[in-house]
Amino acid sequence: MKFPCQSLMLTLLIVFATAAQAEMSHMGMRMGEWGMVMNENYDQLPQGCDAIAGEVNVTIKAGREYAKEFPGTIFGYSQHEFDFPKCTRVNVTFINEDNIRHQFMIHGLPTYLHPQGMFHLELYSKGEITGTFITPKTEQTYLAHCDVAQHMEKGMKAQIKVGGGNGNLPSIPGISGQLNKDVYELDLSIENILLIFALFILGLSSCLFFFVWYKA
Amino acid sequence: MSAITLSVIALFLYDPYLMYERFFEYTGMPSYKEAPISKPKAGLANPMICDEDYPEWRKAYTIGGIDIQASDACNPDNPYEVAAFVRGTNNVIMPVLMKTQLSDDAVIKTNDRDGDGDPDDIIIRVEVAELNGRSPDELGFIPGFEIAPGIRPGAWVFAPKSRGMSTVNRLDLTANHLLRLPSAPIRVEAGDNITLILENTHYFPHTIHLHGVDHVFSNNDGVPQTSEKMTMPGEQHVYKMKPRHAGTMMYHCHVQVQVHMMMGLQGIFVVEENKPNNWVQTFNVGAGKVRHPSVAVMEDYAQEYDMHYQAIDTSLNNMIQTTNDPRQLAKKMNRVYDITDGTDDYFLLNGRSFPYTLRESLITVEPDQHTKLRVLNGTTEVIALHTHGHKATITAYDGVDVNPAARITRDVYDLASAQRLDLDLYTKDDGLHSYGEGVWLMHDHAERAITTNGINPGGNVSQIVYRKYLNKNAMANVEGGSVMPYFSPEYYQGELPTWSASDAFGWWDDVAGRSISTYKDVILIIVLGMLTGVLFLLFNVWYNFLHDIAIKLKGRRS
Repeated sequence: MKFPCQSLMLTLLIVFATAAQAEMSHMGMRMGEWGMVMNENYDQLPQGCDAIAGEVNVTIKAGREYAKEFPGTIFGYSQHEFDFPKCTRVNVTFINEDNIRHQFMIHGLPTYLHPQGMFHLELYSKGEITGTFITPKTEQTYLAHCDVAQHMEKGMKAQIKVGGGNGNLPSIPGISGQLNKDVYELDLSIENILLIFALFILGLSSCLFFFVWYKA
Repeated sequence: MSAITLSVIALFLYDPYLMYERFFEYTGMPSYKEAPISKPKAGLANPMICDEDYPEWRKAYTIGGIDIQASDACNPDNPYEVAAFVRGTNNVIMPVLMKTQLSDDAVIKTNDRDGDGDPDDIIIRVEVAELNGRSPDELGFIPGFEIAPGIRPGAWVFAPKSRGMSTVNRLDLTANHLLRLPSAPIRVEAGDNITLILENTHYFPHTIHLHGVDHVFSNNDGVPQTSEKMTMPGEQHVYKMKPRHAGTMMYHCHVQVQVHMMMGLQGIFVVEENKPNNWVQTFNVGAGKVRHPSVAVMEDYAQEYDMHYQAIDTSLNNMIQTTNDPRQLAKKMNRVYDITDGTDDYFLLNGRSFPYTLRESLITVEPDQHTKLRVLNGTTEVIALHTHGHKATITAYDGVDVNPAARITRDVYDLASAQRLDLDLYTKDDGLHSYGEGVWLMHDHAERAITTNGINPGGNVSQIVYRKYLNKNAMANVEGGSVMPYFSPEYYQGELPTWSASDAFGWWDDVAGRSISTYKDVILIIVLGMLTGVLFLLFNVWYNFLHDIAIKLKGRRS
């Protein structure tokens, strides 16, 4: 009685271990002192795709250097918008130019291919890594960002439009505005004041003019 | 005249006593009028007292050959993370590291140079994280950290280098458990070659000043005016030290200290005595119980707790919630905020205020036991720490041992700003060291500190709990009132009557408003209406008078 029970356990264990290993390679987890690549996908077809339609290589650089262009940001990507066709294999080369941790993390992808819908590249310091994912057969705009605390808020935010996408996400540097807006003081330089005054007078006088016109 | 008459009538209707003190002597006493009724008691959703995620982490573990003490906390430290801190993230197997959110290079321990069975070259990496900051995309604060029910002040902390998301996930924007107040206590062994790397992941410049820790000056003291340049966003700075003297020290940012320290960039830094086979727990995330105390501590004590006291002035800390633009923030924090006008609103022990201190910062003891407490005062005022039921002995000030013959045993321990005390809490029931088993409070006796923005009980109140009083919720069985109401955000918004739970008669319920209930009230309102009418007519008369004058003057001119 004891023997078959043990062998059953052993078989179960082996099956389980193989399953677990398959899971690991399926998820495409790579990790080391350099950083990690999570939930990579080379060859699993997204639902609705008959075949991989093509292959695209992109390079994304991350660092404070790319914040210069956008006042009020501290960190940034070399590019804040990407357009990919559907069902396409995308090889993302991620380059970190800072001496700190940065990420390129895409959200909202199909969860049957990417646990939690995430495809994730992370570098613990300066360096370079390539990871691959396949775009789904949708017309959708996906969020890509660095989720180190406050990095997205301070400029490390991008959008990925698959099949043309479905509009813009908020507060993408150079592309879209904030929903929870920052409030700034009025510029009190003479040019700005004169301009405001001129526009105001224009509005006032046109109103009066039409009033008089109507009366007459 | 009619206006004056009506005013007098209105006043008499409101309260004749105001018009003429002896009025009621002539008319007889006023009739009884019932005071307004009480408001109904607020029906509260049953708040969670212990929001445990991993109760199994409370038991004692041995992971990778490292003994990890049991913890009684509702939210105990992750034992796998403790193991990774003790062994070094380079020396634990992948499955252990995967159970933490640490980066592979967070703590690197190599080379037993003196051959005493523990590594002597230690590399520690810390990042700077913002808590409860502003988001340009939504009104909530990110990554979220509650110090007490519903209370989320802005803060910055030094945290062990981590990996993955800063929040729990994309929908739950609560900070992951490594990102929290206080800045994680750091432990090293005396004589080790320590390399502390500050990786500035934040949007302002920072440094680390090793307060009280033996270190050379050049490029190493953390002071931007004297020893080094500030570490800019995206840069790192390497601090090297080989501390010769052991004790409880401190580390903090030295850029705009009056702002950065109060924002939370300050932590306990312990140098442990050099002993054989002494693998120290490099970080103690969230402070509190040290689940793998050093060899020297275990020689004299059964257990050890790190206790970091902090205070928050919301007019500083919540500035980071007002704008997302670092230029505006730099101006507000460095030039608009004036700490000399500042007042503290929240008082924290190990990053939380009561009642959340009960979830993490209970000191649980057995009788006849020595417990080592390492206390840091990170506030700008003196704290007067008081232990109910116990008189503990001060064994060290600022990391320097007190001569055993001169040690002081007392029940109020005063700590100046940035001061550290080592306390020996001895639970011998002799009427001096302990008055016996029970649930004994421990708090700063400067009374503002036992409140959360003026609401008591709050602030840094915690408890010394004898283990037989612990219940299955990892809380103390108390004989007084239930702590349940304090876990509701409404309590700290001042919306719950303080004694609601124990006030069966409703003596101190909130009072409902006055309503129109007697004929006098009815007449009063009508009279007030008439008075308004009369005033309007008077105004009209006055307007006509002026109008007529104007017309007459104009007529005379033409």
